[in-house]
Amino acid sequence: MQHLKLFKSSLIALALATSSASFAESFAITNATVHTVTAQGVLENATVVIENGKVIAINPETVNADVTIDAEGKILTPGFIGSMNQLGLVEVSAVSRSRDAGDKKADITFDASLAFNPRSSAIAYSRKGGITSNVVVPRGGDDMFKGQTFVADLSGEFDSVRVSNHNVIIDLGAKSKGSRALSLQKLHEQLEDATKALAKAKTKDKKDKKEAKEPSREDQVINALLSGEKALVAYADRATDLLALLKLKAEFSLDLVLVGAADAVLIADKIAEAKVPVVMAALENLPGSFDSLHASLENAGKLSQAGVIVALTVSGDTHNLYQLRFDAGNAIANGLTPEAALASVTANVAEAFNLDSGKIAVGKTADLVLWSADPFELSSKVSKMWISGKEYSTESRQDALRDRYNTKSDMPKGYIK
Amino acid sequence: MKKFLPSLVMAALSVALTGCLQSEQQDEKVVINKNPYPSTYKALPLQTTLIKNATVLTGTGSRMDNADVLMVDGKIEKIGKDLTAGDAVVIDADGKWITPGIIDVHSHLGVYPSPSVESHSDGNEMSSPNTSEVWAEHSIWPQDPGFEAARAGGITTLQILPGSANLFGGRGVTLRNVPSHTMQGMKFPEAPYGLKMACGENPKRVYGSRKILPSTRMGNMAGYRMAWAEATEYKRAWEKYESDYAAGKNPVAPVRDIELDTLKGVLDGDILIHNHCYKAEEMAMMIDLGKEFNYKSGTFHHAIEAYKIADTLAENGNCAAMWPDWWGFKMEAYDMVHENVAIVDAVKNSCAVVHSDSATTIQRLNQEAGKVMYRANENGFDIAPELAITWITSNAAKSLGVAEKTGSLESGKNADVVIWNQNPFSVYAKAEQVFVDGAKVYDRFDEKYQAKSDFLLGQR
Repeated sequence: MQHLKLFKSSLIALALATSSASFAESFAITNATVHTVTAQGVLENATVVIENGKVIAINPETVNADVTIDAEGKILTPGFIGSMNQLGLVEVSAVSRSRDAGDKKADITFDASLAFNPRSSAIAYSRKGGITSNVVVPRGGDDMFKGQTFVADLSGEFDSVRVSNHNVIIDLGAKSKGSRALSLQKLHEQLEDATKALAKAKTKDKKDKKEAKEPSREDQVINALLSGEKALVAYADRATDLLALLKLKAEFSLDLVLVGAADAVLIADKIAEAKVPVVMAALENLPGSFDSLHASLENAGKLSQAGVIVALTVSGDTHNLYQLRFDAGNAIANGLTPEAALASVTANVAEAFNLDSGKIAVGKTADLVLWSADPFELSSKVSKMWISGKEYSTESRQDALRDRYNTKSDMPKGYIK
Repeated sequence: MKKFLPSLVMAALSVALTGCLQSEQQDEKVVINKNPYPSTYKALPLQTTLIKNATVLTGTGSRMDNADVLMVDGKIEKIGKDLTAGDAVVIDADGKWITPGIIDVHSHLGVYPSPSVESHSDGNEMSSPNTSEVWAEHSIWPQDPGFEAARAGGITTLQILPGSANLFGGRGVTLRNVPSHTMQGMKFPEAPYGLKMACGENPKRVYGSRKILPSTRMGNMAGYRMAWAEATEYKRAWEKYESDYAAGKNPVAPVRDIELDTLKGVLDGDILIHNHCYKAEEMAMMIDLGKEFNYKSGTFHHAIEAYKIADTLAENGNCAAMWPDWWGFKMEAYDMVHENVAIVDAVKNSCAVVHSDSATTIQRLNQEAGKVMYRANENGFDIAPELAITWITSNAAKSLGVAEKTGSLESGKNADVVIWNQNPFSVYAKAEQVFVDGAKVYDRFDEKYQAKSDFLLGQR
């Protein structure tokens, strides 16, 4: 399928191509059904040109690329984006020394990206689901702030952390010890105190022109929330908690993201009006607690219908991330439109977490997946995938094990490699 | 644990003292009631029903296109073309698919219900490594909304098992998935009990942390062997009591032991083993353990590494109940392959089952089986829907010992039937109507057939 078609005219570009094999090569994917997840919608028989890890042209008049890949009419989508898991922070959940997602002492400054392992076997495996990047969320510790999210691509390369210390995670709602009220109260107080401190520092600066004392690391993070530099990503389910968060958003102009949000359907209009994204698991339909009596398979569709920006996440363990596309398919079966479903695993995740991916558009990171058929269907698979413009395979350790035990041999299986 | 021994001594003494008397006065014979909590399940109101023009996966490995299914008196009467029945309710199923009712061999609905509150966390008696004396049915909360959700996914029969912290977790029970406010009202009539056993990490972790046996895998094996040795003696004591009584003597019955009753039930062939066991080397030992103590080693659940010993499983008549893709949560779940079920199934006389162990995935066992089929077919297998459906119907019924009654659409079998809107192995497939014993228990388009648990009633 891959064949050389046109050479670049620029000698400089050729020189770059040899110096950095992963990025400099330009290529064009032709004859694709391109789901852009932008206002452009779906483009039939379309061409997408990629160079230096970015999409540089869609349907250009003349195709100018080192390599052309004929998509044979297959569906090309933005790479899917996982979120709210511990990919790269845990190899085997029950093996304590393979876990780095939490620490009793972790606080709002906790930067788990320092522990990210791109060689985790769960990463290659997750590529089977067409996942090209992921918002990793630490589990944190005793504090209600669980630390900060980071973004990593699924290339498995050592430089795959794209953004660290990104957004702030807070866990609200039902508590096995104590009252949810105290968390909400403390959150409000911290935001209020920081707002006052900032105002005070401002007036003080003007008065005595002395250099202001640098705020603590914790306060710097709170200040970043107040300036909108960081989003507050809040786990909460019950409607009262969601409403309390919407109120905080209004009071302090927070960039707020709701996660879980089982009761969101009860206040869908308010969430839509506040333009607050909801990150939810499509398959969670049981009343797991008194906070989630309204969980339903239809919630993703209902919220989307009400104008809420819905992003889907896989419920359960990090190792199940590859199933994200099937969750989206089930959401479609229960009322989410196919267009909204695609956005819920691409553009809406990017919007919720402020990422430069999730769409096929000029200038965007070339995280792309070519599918054998309908990406949400059980029977389809990834035909090809690119992360930052470089092609990656979906082969994983699981394939090697299957092949070993499916090979007939007189010798013990241990010899089959 | 050795409670029955003194009574053996007593029995021996009494025989010695009175054995010479031929015309001995016999006390009333001690007989253990094997069914003290009997099923009160009755089929819901039913009508003769004729489903027309569907694609039928029979659960026996065959597929019939444009076929009709006739249900009379709660049984499958006939499957074929152009069937008629005078007074039947006729359902036009053109373009739809029909399968046997879906069976999950591994569920904790009711014992670990939703909401998951402490007050209802009744699935695992984690107080001793051998709790063969506990019965999961005594923990079931029939108002678990998970039963309704599973019914909407086509589940008609399910086994509720105790958890896996113990070497012997206790008895499992097989239920009909019908709404009832008592456990007995759901109990599958005449289904054999299961005994939950567990290999590997869980028992050794739970009891090892308390510094009691087992803290190692060899401790696990020792724990099983000691228990089976004791159960063998208990069985012998009862058999001696019965043969002496039959011979006209007046023996003293062994002291009743509820724990050993269950293990004896396995040795007698009345209770089937359901063994949480992930790893190839452990399953191979559990098969030998069954041979050592002369019982069938049954079904291996969560058999992540079954593909490594597919031949051994088939040779020994073991079923393996598996997930399509769960992995990585423990070391014993590290070697998952997507094709596990297909590799096990490919061996002659195999019994491959897809199970859930989840209140969520039990709602989509059709999709779980579908995932296996498609991944396997991408890698050299050629599995058709009519085969894949057996993993969640007839093979599951065989694992539970109810294959004579359900699991396939054949004349005379219970009319447990699901009508799907399309090929059930699609992510977009939905169960539209579900029948248990010929009675409609769920209809996606008719609220009258959508039960709601007491718990959710009136919540806002």
